[in-house]
Amino acid sequence: MNLTSFLIRRAFMVIPLLVGVVFFTFMLVRVGGLDPVGLLAGPTATAEEFTMIRAELGLDQPLWKQFLIYAGNVIQGDLGESWLSNRPVLDDIAARAVISLELLFWGVGIGTFVGVPIGLRAAFNPNGRFDQSARILSLFGFSIPTYWLGLVMLFVFFYLLRWAPPGMGRISLMISSPDFVTGSYFIDSLVAGDWKAAHSSLSHLILPVTCLAIVSAAPIIKQTRAIALEVLSSDAVRYARACGLKPKTVRKIVFRNSATPVLTFIGTEITGLVGTMSLIEYVFAWGGLGQYGLNAIVRGDFTAVQGYVLVLALFSVLVFLIVDIVVAMIEPRIELN
Amino acid sequence: MHRTIIEKKPLLTRALNRFRGISRLSPTATAGVIIILFFAVLAIFSTAFMPHDPVSSYTDRILKPPSADHWFGTDGNGMDVFSRVIYGAKFGFGIAIPAVILSVVIGIPIGLIAGFRGGMLDEVLMRFFDGLRVFPSIILALAVVAATGQSLINVILVLGVLDSPVFARVVRSEVLALRNSIFVESAIAAGNPTWRILFVHLLPNSIQGAMAQTAVRAAWAVRISATLAFLGVGIQAPTPEWGAMIRQGAEFMITGQWWVAIFPGVALIFLVFGLNLFGDGIQDILDPRRRVEK
Amino acid sequence: MTLLSVSNLKTHFIFRDIDNQFREAKALNKVSLSLDAGRILGIVGETGAGKSLTAQSICGLLRPPAKIVGGTIQFDGQDLLSLSEDELNKVRGADISMVVQNPRSSLDPLTRIGDQLVRIHQTHTGGPIKTSRRKAIEMMEAVGFSDPEQRKNAWPHELSGGMAQRVLIAMALMNEPKLLIADEPTTGLDVTVQAQILDLLKDLVSQFNMATMIITHDLGIVAHYCDEVAVMFAGEIIEQGSVQDVFLSSAHPYTQSLLASTPEKLRLGSKATVTRSPPDLFNLPQGCLSQDRCEISTELCKTTPPFQKISRLHSARCHFANSKETQSKVNMEVDIEGSRKTPND
Repeated sequence: MNLTSFLIRRAFMVIPLLVGVVFFTFMLVRVGGLDPVGLLAGPTATAEEFTMIRAELGLDQPLWKQFLIYAGNVIQGDLGESWLSNRPVLDDIAARAVISLELLFWGVGIGTFVGVPIGLRAAFNPNGRFDQSARILSLFGFSIPTYWLGLVMLFVFFYLLRWAPPGMGRISLMISSPDFVTGSYFIDSLVAGDWKAAHSSLSHLILPVTCLAIVSAAPIIKQTRAIALEVLSSDAVRYARACGLKPKTVRKIVFRNSATPVLTFIGTEITGLVGTMSLIEYVFAWGGLGQYGLNAIVRGDFTAVQGYVLVLALFSVLVFLIVDIVVAMIEPRIELN
Repeated sequence: MHRTIIEKKPLLTRALNRFRGISRLSPTATAGVIIILFFAVLAIFSTAFMPHDPVSSYTDRILKPPSADHWFGTDGNGMDVFSRVIYGAKFGFGIAIPAVILSVVIGIPIGLIAGFRGGMLDEVLMRFFDGLRVFPSIILALAVVAATGQSLINVILVLGVLDSPVFARVVRSEVLALRNSIFVESAIAAGNPTWRILFVHLLPNSIQGAMAQTAVRAAWAVRISATLAFLGVGIQAPTPEWGAMIRQGAEFMITGQWWVAIFPGVALIFLVFGLNLFGDGIQDILDPRRRVEK
Repeated sequence: MTLLSVSNLKTHFIFRDIDNQFREAKALNKVSLSLDAGRILGIVGETGAGKSLTAQSICGLLRPPAKIVGGTIQFDGQDLLSLSEDELNKVRGADISMVVQNPRSSLDPLTRIGDQLVRIHQTHTGGPIKTSRRKAIEMMEAVGFSDPEQRKNAWPHELSGGMAQRVLIAMALMNEPKLLIADEPTTGLDVTVQAQILDLLKDLVSQFNMATMIITHDLGIVAHYCDEVAVMFAGEIIEQGSVQDVFLSSAHPYTQSLLASTPEKLRLGSKATVTRSPPDLFNLPQGCLSQDRCEISTELCKTTPPFQKISRLHSARCHFANSKETQSKVNMEVDIEGSRKTPND
């Protein structure tokens, strides 16, 4: 088991992907008729100011030069400056990344924790009542617009029941945020022993996390069930039954053989769930990367959009890599060498 | 010689039996079809169902809760929510159908060629498609539409193009399986031009999986277009599209006027749900492995 | 002493098709056979004749929509059909063991083979783990592993087809079964390996005095390794008896055409018809099930032919079983004892 050589090999395979991703995000923003200069300059700019701004943004250079400059900058960690916030995009993103991570972690975590057992149980009694309800529930979950769900939850739990705080931010406006330790208000306030802040941040967490959990559970239930069904009809399980192994043992065999495909699936799902998470952030004004990115796209802040899409893609690549490593470690059929 | 002859029952009975057989095989597919037909009727015959004009506003009745006159209440511009929800069904189909057709028209030939030819072309295409998977589809659609201009046509084009890899992949894997089969080899040996082999021989046999996907992708198209409208991209108020309506109603959710945003959402859920049910059921019927015998 | 006695076993596939019509496929029609300890019974027939289905019915491994709708299965004094699923599970893997096709994919890919041997032993025999481990090593040696201490840590995917099949045999023997059922144990393996596996099986069978059932479509295997044979067609046993009787003086036209269609025979110039369509299990003919493809069928064949006894152990389901004309229309020149003629040339 040579982890470093495995990592190095994967890193090599990933580099063309990364180059492609940078190129793609670069082209993405330039593909349409949006004129960033016009947006930046405003309606009263003169022709000279236009040219100046164009030169400043480097838009007077031929496209390939622009790309090289951009790529070079990216490698050095310079993602340009957001014209909306006038700050380096990298700073904006870095500040918000951890905030989104908190939501993503809890939301997808709970979705997995709830979804996988449901999918497994449904597979063991196919077409039974549990299975049919699980399938319908999961299809329903596929059909609910996330943002709508968030709005409905706010309506029910905030407006009607007054249980949840207003959907704004991660902590009540009247409570000061805890000192930075991890970036998660909840954890940081626990660490600092600040119960009020902990309570407030937790109450702000609940609704968006539940929203994300529900929406992520749907595909997880469906796919876990499908995977478990396939494993159940595999040669290995049929043979295990022929050997007279106890049902408990057979179940364990099914679980362990389903683990890898389920894990791989969740890894690929996370990419899409990041998009969903962004919508939730938008609705709950969470202040994370997703909200930042959506705003940037809608308002045409094209350097920010570039940076945002790039970071999202890099995150996905990282997740895929982690999943591959974990799978290689638990699967005897894959050699790390 | 000694077989019992099966009597042919009258056509209607046989059709009914076939229907019952399919609904037994997949109640989900049947339920899905019913829901889809319901919305289709609403979309086509909307004028018959709308009590009010969906875009005329009653300035004296702003934000009124549901009543006998306005079943779903009125929105912030005084427009009847019920009529707008019904009219919105047009957008659901109007966007999803062309978008899926576009995806199919683009994706299937690509899948056929990539699967059949193999080699460099296949490698490059598949790598490219795989590369696209690192981007969340919502964000991608959003970014492209926002960049290229916000019109209905644009939304359809972008969704159609972005979803074509799904079809390409499905068709490609079926073609890969068929490529070495006897009938393809004999077609090649007979001197058929490539395009003929692709479309006359391979296509009918590899299309099953793709067809099964259409309903599910249509559901996705409806969802995403509504999401785009919700974010203010692509379609805007006062167009009675469900996503745009939810956007309008969002601010009123926390002040208690729930009806403005909830009803369009419910309609959206059910249409997408119906499409997903149908798609899931069709996949169950077509792929015997997925079918679990009772 | 008769260990296994199956009588009039009926297994049907019952379901509703896409036209909402009930469909019933009679996959096993009154199958009867018996097996004594220490004897090897071969079950042959073309694909779809119901051979594997018989084994699955005996072990209770039928998957819906297959159902046992009639008959009895007596094993070691117990009626297997009256046992609950739990009780049947205790019998499987212990008193009745199966060796299946596709050994590499049948082993649990996430458990080392030594651990799998220990697991099956612990499930049925129990006792201290040390004993199970020791027995696992013993069994691995017995099936031909040269370095069991080392190899017990191997993963299933690291084994070749032949080695994996040996593991399956070891698994089957861990709990000292009374009946061993081998369902196409060598199909898919290399020809040279096939002979090794079957030799091994025969050795172990005589060592442990097990009753054995070998299911195969390969007549050569039956000829070389089995004591008795049952020929199946369309879910029925149409001829059974000792291998000598059935192969050298077969009394059923179908068996004769089977024998005549082996590669050896065809090469020697037999004129057997090789193209036949399989029987339609939804619409079986009245009377003899093979009348549609039989050269000598007459009006009499529309009534169900009884089992005609030809000698003490030999019987065939044909109206003309005992008449002179059907006796051995075709001669089979295969060495039954001794020569190691490989089954598939």
